[in-house]
Amino acid sequence: MIFREVEDRDLIAKARRGHVDAYNVLVSRWEKRVFNYLLRLVGHREDALDLSQDVFLKAYQNLRRLEDPAKFPGWLFRIAHNEAYSLLRKNRPEGELAVEPKTASESGRMFPIELSLAVQGALSRLSDDQREAVLLKVYQGFKFEEMAEILSCPVSTVKSRLYTALDLLKQTLAPVKMGGAE
Amino acid sequence: MNCSSEELKAYFLGELASRDKASVEEHVRACQNCGEELERLKLTQTALLMLEEEEVPRRISFVSDKVFEPRWYQTIWRSGPAMGFASVVVLAAAILVHGFAQYAAAPVAPTVDTAQMEQRIEREVNARLDTVVAKSVSDAQAKQAAEFARVLDSTEKRFETRRQADLATVQQAAEYYEKQMSRWQVAFNDTGSAQ
Repeated sequence: MIFREVEDRDLIAKARRGHVDAYNVLVSRWEKRVFNYLLRLVGHREDALDLSQDVFLKAYQNLRRLEDPAKFPGWLFRIAHNEAYSLLRKNRPEGELAVEPKTASESGRMFPIELSLAVQGALSRLSDDQREAVLLKVYQGFKFEEMAEILSCPVSTVKSRLYTALDLLKQTLAPVKMGGAE
Repeated sequence: MNCSSEELKAYFLGELASRDKASVEEHVRACQNCGEELERLKLTQTALLMLEEEEVPRRISFVSDKVFEPRWYQTIWRSGPAMGFASVVVLAAAILVHGFAQYAAAPVAPTVDTAQMEQRIEREVNARLDTVVAKSVSDAQAKQAAEFARVLDSTEKRFETRRQADLATVQQAAEYYEKQMSRWQVAFNDTGSAQ
């Protein structure tokens, strides 16, 4: 945990009293994480930016409803999840793939840029639910219970989505060595 | 512990309690398949974390907007110390009023004739309106008269100046004409005497 001179809960308390500057500090702490989460979920930079702005505006308007400031991260990502899914439901036809994936075994060792593309491809092959589970767990570090709250589903569903996603990602990013040869 | 893909993943994701964790670790040391599976999971995670976070293209920030700011009474209402202080003040005032107030018969509310009052107000308003209108008209007329006098005076002066200039020009022309005439007369006389 990075030490912060002013904790998020202090900023939340000030923002609740109408201090926009305090809220802007809070935004600056979270905007990159929220933006990247949305970017990887919706796959479009401008959409992700628009959604991020909407997320922080809604969060500000509803900040007084947040009962426990310690739960701010999960609460914020819940808003982000809702916003992203509104857009995904509106825009994307079922089963559409953004990028065709490339497995590690096709070209042997991958350079960082290739690996990055392979990761993007592998993530894009997952369903929206599976991808979101990976984003929340691997990139944002939420616990299963927190993810269940963010996604409004049981912990068993979270586990199921995440484990299936990991199996699919593993096939692309860490394929089984055939006959001991790479 | 038997081979369990789910438990292995939960262990890998840091979601197991310490007792279950120890059990999985013991199993992985003994089971080659689960050991390899765990390695693949780690490799997958490493690959996923190679994806760097992008910078936000434009900073997100908000400006103060009255619409979203709480009203003064909301601010007071939400402020614990302020509410406490207000409560103490109200209580003290109540005690003071109770101590000094005289019990008296409830005053009878005076009857008010609203129609009469409205007429009075209307008369008053009309009277004041007439005064104001009359004053405005008189001020405007005086202003117009002064402006007319100023323009007239200026025009007269301009006319007089031009008239003087015209007179001077005519006079100069007459003098020039007379001089020319006298020169011609002299020349004519000289020619006659020579013949």
